[in-house]
Amino acid sequence: MINLARKDVEHSLGKFLITAMGVGMLLGIVLIMIGVYRGMIIDAEVLLDDIGADVWVVQEDTLGPFAESSRVHEDLRDTVRVIDGVKQAEALTFQNTQLPKNPKPIRVMAVGFDPFGTVNPINPKRIIEGRGLERSHYEMVVTDKTGYHVGDIIRLMRHNYHVVGVTHGSVSSGGDPLIYVSLKDAQELQFSYSNNRIRTDRARGIEGAESHMVNAVVARIRPGYGIDEVAKGIEKSLHKSVYTADQQRWILTKNVIETAAKQIGMFTGILVIVSTIIIALIIYTMTLEKMKEIAIMKLIGLPNWMIIKMIGQETLLLGILAFIFANLFSHLIYTKFPKRVVLEIPDAWLLFAVVLVASLLASLAGIKKVISADPQAAIGG
Amino acid sequence: MEATPGIRVENLYKHFGEGETLVRVIEGANFEVYKGELVALIAPSGAGKTTLLMMIGCVEEPTSGTIWLGDEKVYENRWLTKETRKIRREKIGFIFQAHYLIPFLNVIENVTLVPQTNGMSEKEANKIAMELLEYFDIGDKARSMPSELSGGQNQRVAIARALANKPQIILADEPTAALDTERSVAVVKMLKKIAIEQNVAVIMVTHDEAMLPLCDRILKIEDKKVVSKEVPASKDII
Repeated sequence: MINLARKDVEHSLGKFLITAMGVGMLLGIVLIMIGVYRGMIIDAEVLLDDIGADVWVVQEDTLGPFAESSRVHEDLRDTVRVIDGVKQAEALTFQNTQLPKNPKPIRVMAVGFDPFGTVNPINPKRIIEGRGLERSHYEMVVTDKTGYHVGDIIRLMRHNYHVVGVTHGSVSSGGDPLIYVSLKDAQELQFSYSNNRIRTDRARGIEGAESHMVNAVVARIRPGYGIDEVAKGIEKSLHKSVYTADQQRWILTKNVIETAAKQIGMFTGILVIVSTIIIALIIYTMTLEKMKEIAIMKLIGLPNWMIIKMIGQETLLLGILAFIFANLFSHLIYTKFPKRVVLEIPDAWLLFAVVLVASLLASLAGIKKVISADPQAAIGG
Repeated sequence: MEATPGIRVENLYKHFGEGETLVRVIEGANFEVYKGELVALIAPSGAGKTTLLMMIGCVEEPTSGTIWLGDEKVYENRWLTKETRKIRREKIGFIFQAHYLIPFLNVIENVTLVPQTNGMSEKEANKIAMELLEYFDIGDKARSMPSELSGGQNQRVAIARALANKPQIILADEPTAALDTERSVAVVKMLKKIAIEQNVAVIMVTHDEAMLPLCDRILKIEDKKVVSKEVPASKDII
C-alpha cells in the first residue's frame, strides 16, 4: 500500500526538513530557556554545597552574605568552635570584584577562606588544572570561565596573585565565576584601603580600618547533636543570626534569586505558548497547502482515513524531527552561554509531549477542514 | 445480445438555492447510457453539464430522482449508501480537462493508488498499471513524476488511472479541451475503444462539435431537460 505521507515528504523533502529545522530551533530556544532557569537554581546552590556547612553564623538581623551585607569579627570563629556540639568552624569572606582582563574586566566573586582550616570551599572534584590553595598569601584558584590558567599572574590592588588552580563549574548564586583566595588576602582585598585613602582618613582623624572582619562563620556539627538545637544555642548566646544549611538554601532560592528565576520562568512559559502556536499554525498551513491534492483524492474516492493518516503521520514526523533538531541545536550552543544552562532529559520529553499534543490538536483542525473539503474544488467546481 | 445500461437516470432534478435565489439546473432528466457506448454530453456553458456528470459520479447530490449505476440503485431522492466515495472508487473512472494527478506520486503510483485502496495487491495493481501505461505508450514513464511529463502524457496517465480500477462507467469532463485536434481525435478514439473492449459506459462532456461524429450518441441539455440525439452524419473528421 502506498504511504502517502512518505511520498509527500519525499517529494518536498527540502521544504519539510527546513520547516522541521525551523521548528526545532524554536524548540531548542525553549529548551535553552528552561536550561537557564534550571541553571539559576543549581548555580544558587553550588557554593552552598561545596562549603558543606551545617550552620551559618552571620551578622545579627541579616540574612547572611548571599542576601545582604553581613560583617562579623573573625574571632567569632574561635567562640563558635568551643560551643557544645560544634565540630569545626571557619570564617569566610565573599566579595564581588573585577579581575583585570582584555578587552574588559571580568566580574567575579572572591571567596576567602583559611587554606589550613577545616572547611575548604573548593570542591576537589571541580579542580581541572593545578591544585588548591596551599599558602597564606598571593595564591589564587580561579574558575575556567575567567579564562585564566595555572601560572598566570593577576594583579589585585597592591599585590600579584599566582593562579595555582583552575576549577570548573564554580559560580556564585548570581552566576558570577568564583575565585578563591586565602582569608588574609581576602580581608585585605575587602577591608583594606589604598594608601591614598588611608592618608585621607588619617587627615580626617580616622585611624585605621578594621580588617579582621569576615562575612560569615560556618560550622559543622558533631554527630549526635541536632543541627537546629546547636544553631539555636549559638543564636541565643552570641546574639548573631544563625541559619542551618536548609535555611540558607531557602534564603538563596526563595529570596535571592526568586525574582530572577520567576522572570525567566515566566518568559519560558510565554515562549512555550508562542512556540506551540507557531507550530500549530505551521501544521495547519501545511495541511491547507495540500487542499487541492486532498480534493483530488476525495474525488477519485480515497477514504477519509487515508487522508487523515497522511496528515497525522506527517504531523508526527514533523514533531519528531523538530524534537531531534531542537536537542541537537540546544546541545550545540548551550555551552556558549555565559551562565550555566542545564539541559535535563525530563524537560526535553515534557516539551516533546507538549509539542506533540499541540501538533495533533493543530492537525485535528486541519483534518476537520479536510473532511469538509468539497471534492469538486479539485476541478474548480 | 441485448445491451445493458451502465447508467440509468430517472426523473432527475437539481436545484441550487431556494426562494428568490432558486436556480433550476436540471428538470426531470431521463436517459440511459449502455455499456460499450460512448455518449457525448453537450450543452451551452453554464447549462449544467458538469453538474449532471458530478451527480452521476456521486459527487454532487441531486435534489430528487433516481440514479442507477449498473445494477445498483445509488440514489433515490437520497443517497442509498453513506459510502458514495466507495462507489466512485469501485465503479467510476473520472477524466477531466486537466489531468489532476497527485503531484507527489509518480506515474505508476498515481495509477495504482485507487486499485490498491480497493484491496488489490501492489504486485497485481502494478501489473495492470504497466499494461495500461504500455497501452497508452508511456510505459517508460512509469517512474516519472507528473511534473516531468508533457500535458498530453499526463492526460494519458489520467486516463490510465481512470481505467485501473476496472470501472463500469467512465465520466470524462471535457477531456480534449486542452488538446489540439489531432490529439483530441486520438483521445476520443481511445475512449471509444475502451468503451467497446472493456464494456464500459462512457459519458464525455464536450464543447467540440468535431468530436461528435466519433461518439455513438449525443445527450443534449435543452431547457433544463436531457434529450438524446443521433450523431451528425458527417464523419469527415475521422
